[in-house]
Amino acid sequence: MKFKDGIKGRNIVVKCAADKLLPFSLVFGLYIILFGTVSPGGGFQGGVMVASGALLLYLGYGYAKTRKVLGPNVLRVNESLGAILYVLLGVVGIVFGANFARNIFFDVGSFGDLLSGGTISFMGWTVGWKVLTGVSFLLLLMFSLLAPDSSEDEEEEEI
Amino acid sequence: MKTKKIIALLAAAVILIVGLRAVTYGYNYYKAENVEIYKDSDGSITYRRVDDGGVSDIIIEEDIEKTNAMNNVAAVVFDFRGYDTLGESFILLTAIAGSFVILARNKKSKKEETADEV
Repeated sequence: MKFKDGIKGRNIVVKCAADKLLPFSLVFGLYIILFGTVSPGGGFQGGVMVASGALLLYLGYGYAKTRKVLGPNVLRVNESLGAILYVLLGVVGIVFGANFARNIFFDVGSFGDLLSGGTISFMGWTVGWKVLTGVSFLLLLMFSLLAPDSSEDEEEEEI
Repeated sequence: MKTKKIIALLAAAVILIVGLRAVTYGYNYYKAENVEIYKDSDGSITYRRVDDGGVSDIIIEEDIEKTNAMNNVAAVVFDFRGYDTLGESFILLTAIAGSFVILARNKKSKKEETADEV
């Protein structure tokens, strides 16, 4: 059976499953990114889990809609922005006279708070943001190879 | 384009000059005769030698004192090994950039082939 790019050609079961599972995957991945210092998890794992939302979106709605929603240029810009922010947070240690990526403000909150780790939590968030955008951009690139030829007219403008 | 080239050349020059300065300074300063290992390790306030375990004992026993993070793995990844994480994330960035280049070119060549066939 052939999947066309429009909604009509999709199987309704797949579409409904994508609709139902997408919010759970997004919320769970974002929770794992945000609470990296307190509970098990971290930036890399949570970022990949959020990027799996792009896969669900593709399974439900096809390449053209996924691309319209995500926007490859926005993803590219945000990925490099996350990398730059991580480097700046590492340079904070040098500014205050210690090594690169040394944790200076670790006494911020009481033990177990969200911000108790100092720069650890901020670094985790930047890495999560970077991995989220980067892996979803990679998935979008792979989807572009699977896309049928009918949507070529839109693709000529970009990539 | 010209301003971009000038900015890139300036950045390269700054990196080169700082690197050369660091290498020459380090060559004069960090000689094996001048370094006293035990003095350095005992004198530092934050990182001290634990009897046999070394770094792993420090990470496990003094995690909360040094980082105040509940998740020890996050403390290792983003604090003790922050430089390593920088390299990992940049590996991801370069991998995605490389796959972007390859996949985009494949598509173009496919289009050209189909155009030639037609």
